[in-house]
Amino acid sequence: MSRGKLLLRKFAWALVTVMVVVTFNFFLFRVLPGDPAKAGVKDPRITPQQVAALQERFGLDKPVFLNLEEGPWYDSQYFRYFGALAQGDLGTSYSFKNRTVAELLSRSIVNTVWLVLPAQLLAIMAGVALGLLAAWKRGTKIDVSALTFGLFTWSLPTFFLGIILLFVGSRYLGFPIGGRVTVGGAPLSAWSQAGDVLGHLFLPTLTFTLVLLGEYLLIMRSSVVEVFSEDYILTAKAKGLSTIEIIRRHGLRNAMLPIVTLIALNLGFTVSGAIQVETVFSWPGLGKLTVDAVSQRDYPLLQGAFLLLAVSVIAANLIAELIYLRLDPRVTEV
Amino acid sequence: MSAWARLRRNRLFWIGAGMLGSAILVATLASVIAPYDPYAQVRVTVSDIYVGPSGTHLLGTDDAGKDVLSGLIYGARVSLLVGFTAALISLFIGGVIGIIAGYRGGRTGNLLMRFTDFFLVIPDLALQIVIVAIVGQSLRNIILVIGALGWTTTARLVRAQTLTVRERKFVQRAKAIGAGDLHVLIHHVFPQVVPLMLANTVLVISLAILSESTLAFIGLGDPTVISWGQMLNFAFTRGAVSAGAWWALMPPGLAIVWVVLGTTLLGNAAEEVLNPRMTRHHLEPEAPLPPPDASTAAGPVPDTVLAIRDLRVGFEADGGELMAIDRVSFDVRPGESLGLVGESGCGKTTAMLGSLRLLPPGGHIVSGAVWHDGRDLARLDSGELRDLRWDSLSVVFQGAMNALNPVQRVGAQITEAIQLHKPETDDAAARGQARRLLELVGMSPDWADQYPHQFSGGMRQRAMIALALACNPSVVVADEPTTALDVMIQAQVMDLLVRLREEFGMALVLITHDLGVVAETCDRVVVMYGGVVAEQGTVAEVFSDPLHPYTRLLLQAFPDIDDPDRALVSIPGAPPRLDDLPTGCRFAPRCPQAFERCGQERPADYQVGDGRRVSCFLVEEMSRV
Repeated sequence: MSRGKLLLRKFAWALVTVMVVVTFNFFLFRVLPGDPAKAGVKDPRITPQQVAALQERFGLDKPVFLNLEEGPWYDSQYFRYFGALAQGDLGTSYSFKNRTVAELLSRSIVNTVWLVLPAQLLAIMAGVALGLLAAWKRGTKIDVSALTFGLFTWSLPTFFLGIILLFVGSRYLGFPIGGRVTVGGAPLSAWSQAGDVLGHLFLPTLTFTLVLLGEYLLIMRSSVVEVFSEDYILTAKAKGLSTIEIIRRHGLRNAMLPIVTLIALNLGFTVSGAIQVETVFSWPGLGKLTVDAVSQRDYPLLQGAFLLLAVSVIAANLIAELIYLRLDPRVTEV
Repeated sequence: MSAWARLRRNRLFWIGAGMLGSAILVATLASVIAPYDPYAQVRVTVSDIYVGPSGTHLLGTDDAGKDVLSGLIYGARVSLLVGFTAALISLFIGGVIGIIAGYRGGRTGNLLMRFTDFFLVIPDLALQIVIVAIVGQSLRNIILVIGALGWTTTARLVRAQTLTVRERKFVQRAKAIGAGDLHVLIHHVFPQVVPLMLANTVLVISLAILSESTLAFIGLGDPTVISWGQMLNFAFTRGAVSAGAWWALMPPGLAIVWVVLGTTLLGNAAEEVLNPRMTRHHLEPEAPLPPPDASTAAGPVPDTVLAIRDLRVGFEADGGELMAIDRVSFDVRPGESLGLVGESGCGKTTAMLGSLRLLPPGGHIVSGAVWHDGRDLARLDSGELRDLRWDSLSVVFQGAMNALNPVQRVGAQITEAIQLHKPETDDAAARGQARRLLELVGMSPDWADQYPHQFSGGMRQRAMIALALACNPSVVVADEPTTALDVMIQAQVMDLLVRLREEFGMALVLITHDLGVVAETCDRVVVMYGGVVAEQGTVAEVFSDPLHPYTRLLLQAFPDIDDPDRALVSIPGAPPRLDDLPTGCRFAPRCPQAFERCGQERPADYQVGDGRRVSCFLVEEMSRV
């Protein structure tokens, strides 16, 4: 298969996955016990006008999947849902009065990106560097401590590490106890405002970085040991390249391949990490929004948050696969 | 040693098992050892809440004034129950999907793997949250949800295993004699797949325990039972951090770490034993160079491009050092073609790679000298050695399959060598040279822009030869250059080597089992046995009048084109193992002409005529004449 065709297939597969997720999302909230659409109608927080609007919006009087009775076949709950999604309409939140789900989501995803992106980048850089060092200095004290660290952070629940850092940081090191900005107090200049946000970001980012770092380190180490024992590394050595040159020109790119795969596979793990870290540090991102939606039984919000999380992971997964394709010329199959 | 025996000797396995075992013990004996019953209704006042550790409450009290230690002990029950039962569900689903996908393959297999891929990209925790929020937070629901979502890795692993097992002979045979699919799966495939799943099982358990505690922590646990995640949720949401009540936070968190770390160690140990990975590599620091000895004192050897003198090469082994090459001496003369022959495991490759200090990890030169261009390679500073490598000493490696970097274009791998040793060459000139070299080995120069995986085996070997010639070296070592190729291609590659040697005027050291090739292409031959040189001399002398019994037997084991009716005789037995070398002559145990002395002392290298040497007592008399 040509690489162009391969690219096309990857995109198509991502699109199909998104469609399946949307469908899944629709049925999950409709078919499982506790039907949220109907529950929503009964929710005491909602006015009769809103009930009417909800029924109209969900088309609750229409059939679920296909309309075989009257009107066009696509006049069903399922296709109405699709139509609404296409217009960016994710419904209205129950718990946040008069806020659309889309508005709530778009605000919180920015905060999540601020948390996840720096942590991912830091963890990847540190994990790759430490994994490389551990493998290169195999069997030494550096290697043993790196391995121990990796195994330990892997076994540490994200939320527990967050609690420890929050406990120590807020009680003894003067870090804020959570949130995005310090509430109350005198108005701040733009610079000190940014500083305030950074102060709030530090501990959650550290938590996230440490949690991700351990696994990257372990995978990088075993990948590097494997690559360094390959024949082409011996060829490079026989050519007269120095160790540093061998690592830079022949070792690193090959050893990075499993890391790219791991990052792609781990994006779900990233979401789970974001949910935990944001809960512990009250960081107003998508994760915290999801947990709040659950505790408020705010189904439209929960549905929207889940959809956004799933679609982000699928998109990020696609990007990782494209990077892999770029790094490894051998890939010719999906 | 069986896998179980190896597992028993693994320290991490026992530590992990101990950690997990202690948790199981605590869970079982909870009602006996817990000082209080955490489920009992008790009246509390504000002063009972978040009381620090004391004699009555060893780990203090929690947000409801209850004993933390008792909660911790009872919490083990829920965490382990969820962990094990959810893992069981996951393993069952993953096992069934994986085995069917692997065994059936084709359309069904593809569909099932697509299904698995789909679940792989859906964020686990988010989906768990959504489902538990909808179906309700009972313990049963939590177990079902975690179990129903945690099977993807298992399915992928089982499928991969099944795919390999399916191709094994006994499975094919069972199918051939008409066994039904179900029978084959249950009796032949399943038993082969299960043992390899141990590490994965442990991983699934630890992930299930983590999932349960995470769900409980974010408030989706079963409110009627006490689990570690639940304890953390209560303490965290009810002010333990601001109250400074570390005793309500640390114990349940550490308990989760204890169990997960225990399972992880167990899994790692199982993985190490059942699926051993590479643990050593080519870039480990080199062992210290040997001290000067008699062969150094003797100085360079005139009229040679490579003179190996009394070379000994050792390998690190459990409890000591194994001598793979023991006092080997031979010369490579300028422009000549030298054959290095002997059975597998006789040290041909080790002798050459040892001379070039390219040994596998753990191998090193113990003593002896390797003279090249007036310098002793065995003791040369690594920077100087790097300058000599490829520039005047290059190697065509065995199995070019992996000798070229898979993610770099072949042309770039050639220009890299050229520019490394001739830095004045600009990019365009280097590229031009690389293309000319490919042309020289009979390939279109456009192949320079391709990657190794696009080459056939024969082409890869040609590219490797082009690479070896890149800097116009004075010695090329070709290590069984034709092993993996089919017969037609073998002949072409050999012809190419011979032609290029004449063209470039370099010396060629050809490591091979094939005496026919040596007879045709080499000027001189070195016969190695058990890490020593048995006999060396010109091809004409050695082949027409072999003096060492090993050479004689080796020649009898090969067909002779002039005497096709001669019976071929194989040599009984096998070369000695390095950890069990005979005391006297290494060939004595297999030698039909061995006598008493052969088993007692090692024969010296006896000079027989000009440049011909034989290490055998039978020729001792002759050499004295």
